[in-house]
Amino acid sequence: MGATILIVDDLSFMRMIQKEILTEKGYTIAGEAADGLEAVEKFKSLRPDLVLLDITMPNMNGLEAMRKIFTIDPRARVIMCSALGQQNLIVEAIKAGVKDFIVKPFKPERILSAIAKALKA
Amino acid sequence: MSGIDETRLRRAFLDESEELSQKLGESLMALEADQANAGLVNEVFRLTHSLKSESALMGFTTLSELAHRMEDVLGLARDGSLTIGKPVMDSLFAGADLIAEMMAAIAKGGSDADSTTTDVLQGLSAAGGNGRGRTQASALPQSPPTQGAGQAAPQASGPPGSPSAPGAPAPIMLMDFEKLQLVEARDRGEALLRLTVSVDEGEAMKFPRAYLVFSNLEAVSNVVKVDPPMHGETAEDSLYGRTTVLLTSGSEAEVMKAASGVDQIAEVKIERCRFEAFLSGATADAITFPGREPGAAGTPAAGTPETATTSPGQDEQARRMGPVEKTSIRVDTRKLDDLWSLIAELVLHKSHIARLSEDIGHGKDVYTVREELVESFDSLDKISSGMQQAMMDTRMIPISVIFSKFPRLVRDLSRKLGKPVDLALSGEDTEIDRSIVEALSDPLTHIIRNSLDHGIEFPEERVRRGKSEKGRVSVSARRQGGNIVIELEDDGRGMDAESIRRKAVGMGMSGAESFSEAQLLDLVFLPGFSTKEIVTDLSGRGVGMDVVATRIRSDLKGDVVLRTEQNRGTRVTLFLPLTLTIVNAMLVRGEAQLYALPLTDVDSTAKLAGSEIRGEEGRESAQWMEEEIPVFSLGALFGSGRRRADEYFAAVLRHGDRKAYLVVDELIEEREVVIKPVDDLLNSQKMFSGVSVLENGKLVFILDTSFIRREQF
Repeated sequence: MGATILIVDDLSFMRMIQKEILTEKGYTIAGEAADGLEAVEKFKSLRPDLVLLDITMPNMNGLEAMRKIFTIDPRARVIMCSALGQQNLIVEAIKAGVKDFIVKPFKPERILSAIAKALKA
Repeated sequence: MSGIDETRLRRAFLDESEELSQKLGESLMALEADQANAGLVNEVFRLTHSLKSESALMGFTTLSELAHRMEDVLGLARDGSLTIGKPVMDSLFAGADLIAEMMAAIAKGGSDADSTTTDVLQGLSAAGGNGRGRTQASALPQSPPTQGAGQAAPQASGPPGSPSAPGAPAPIMLMDFEKLQLVEARDRGEALLRLTVSVDEGEAMKFPRAYLVFSNLEAVSNVVKVDPPMHGETAEDSLYGRTTVLLTSGSEAEVMKAASGVDQIAEVKIERCRFEAFLSGATADAITFPGREPGAAGTPAAGTPETATTSPGQDEQARRMGPVEKTSIRVDTRKLDDLWSLIAELVLHKSHIARLSEDIGHGKDVYTVREELVESFDSLDKISSGMQQAMMDTRMIPISVIFSKFPRLVRDLSRKLGKPVDLALSGEDTEIDRSIVEALSDPLTHIIRNSLDHGIEFPEERVRRGKSEKGRVSVSARRQGGNIVIELEDDGRGMDAESIRRKAVGMGMSGAESFSEAQLLDLVFLPGFSTKEIVTDLSGRGVGMDVVATRIRSDLKGDVVLRTEQNRGTRVTLFLPLTLTIVNAMLVRGEAQLYALPLTDVDSTAKLAGSEIRGEEGRESAQWMEEEIPVFSLGALFGSGRRRADEYFAAVLRHGDRKAYLVVDELIEEREVVIKPVDDLLNSQKMFSGVSVLENGKLVFILDTSFIRREQF
């Protein structure tokens, strides 16, 4: 069984795409969350090997969720999904310990290679 | 995007982005009213951002580029470096409109690239301030989104000290405190390394990417200097295609691992340097470690540069697919809960009936069983009608879906025409069948447009007439029995029924002299009635009103009524059925076939003596009340002709202002029928609006009574 991954994005469309890309490559989707609050809850209960975390979300944004996740498990592997124009947010995320980031729109290969690298590290 | 069904994705994309686009319109309206509201700026930012990402993912680069530009402007507003004012709002509104237009094109199987974006992009660029690098650099309409930030600006434009030419190592000048760090490191016995980190050409965010490497390096070494510098703040992205890092470390291997473990890095070149070369103040050009091949430790981190997986041809194909039909709907979960509880009851009764049949087998008293059966059937009857209702409810959506577009419409028209207008909406929660909602949007928009264009006067004129300067348009919806009633009212100049009469008489319309006011006003809905001169005469009502009437009366099986008072205003009232899927109808028979006449179109039933029917075959008529109306017969329309008899049964059909007798063999009953679409083959003459199947399996054709308006069949 492949590594387990928690997908967090407020757009179900995005989650669907990520899910398809990942399951096709044999990863297991631990769960999905549509906002930061849900992401933290799901991380706590599911303990995935990796979290794909969108940066702009309602309720609790990705940065805040990431910080909460790191207090639960400082070694958590988090990959941020962001868009152009969010440089500051990404840099902040890097400072806080994010493993990698992906810029939307991404190609399937991008997400896969980022995950593979993050899981290996 | 291998393995993913494109059509399904497109549908999902449209579902989601249409909602985003609508929310964008609403949020912009809110932002316009409250321009200092940071929460709203953020909300609009988030919406444009989502639209951008989604559309880019689907290969809609023009749409994505547009959303991207809007996001840029909003980003500036969010940072506080741009104040939102009218030019900014206008450019955002224009952008939002264009997005909606593109989305509509995509839904119809077209492409976002069909829209012209140049003007809107220029507007956004101007609103965002032309001096800003990215907004300006990528204001070209057709450039794909990824080219905006990363590759546009050449590196040569960097500050002094940045790499001056590709390939040549950058000279590094150290400050005193940095030199001190080197001395300490040398004393600890560490190595001095210079890394040249090249980010993938395809990386859209080079600065964060370089920062990630820097951050990883910092964790395992002592970073002395980075060029271009990294203060952990947003920096001009294009400068960070290649970064030089000078660091000291006890473990070269760890440094290599930290630097090469990052994705999207094209190359990391590691060189060992002499401390003295830096401490003496010399430039770095001369200090390549002798005897060591420069770049020996270089690891192309991401392998070959990323290549596009789809050729442009395929992209184009993906963008230009057939129309995407909406197949998914959003349903209030409470409605589904209701349905679910009914299904639970249904299951309960099913097992009860199964038990009863067993009871009979076991010789239980037949009369007791029968009583229980009757009870169960009663409940099943209630459950099935409950389920029908619950299912119907899932088709119902609040009319606010359309109403929410009106504030924007009125705002734009009001500005364009220079007529200040207040819009009052009420009854937005009124629920209506979703198939009706879609068809209703255009007619309502048209009526409102008419009100503003022609009904509402200019402020000066209003004041002269003793009215408030600001005009008022109100739109309301309510449920009334089996109908939805929508009223659109303005306090404009109204119309003069007598001038309509003059026009009608002038056109040679028979009987116009004696028309009632209601009849005169209904003329406005006639195609071709309003001509240019009457437009002026009648304050312009009537333009396109025939289209409205056709939509409401024929397509939606509803009715539209106009009331007006000169100088006081005009009210258009629409009566619409709750749903188009179930209709109250009169079941009739013609020869061996059953037909259903929608009750809304049946005025009355009558017995017609053969002697009352006048005229030649095919153009017969008879007296009804004071009018002479045409006589049709089911037999003549669909069968072997009207059989001769002394007396006929007939239904008096009404469609708009027209009436006609329809002679049938038998008037059976009034009942509800469920409308199903009818095959084109069976409906070549467009005489039926649908077909229904009765409990006994018999087919019933539902007659589209608008045929009585036709001249020919």
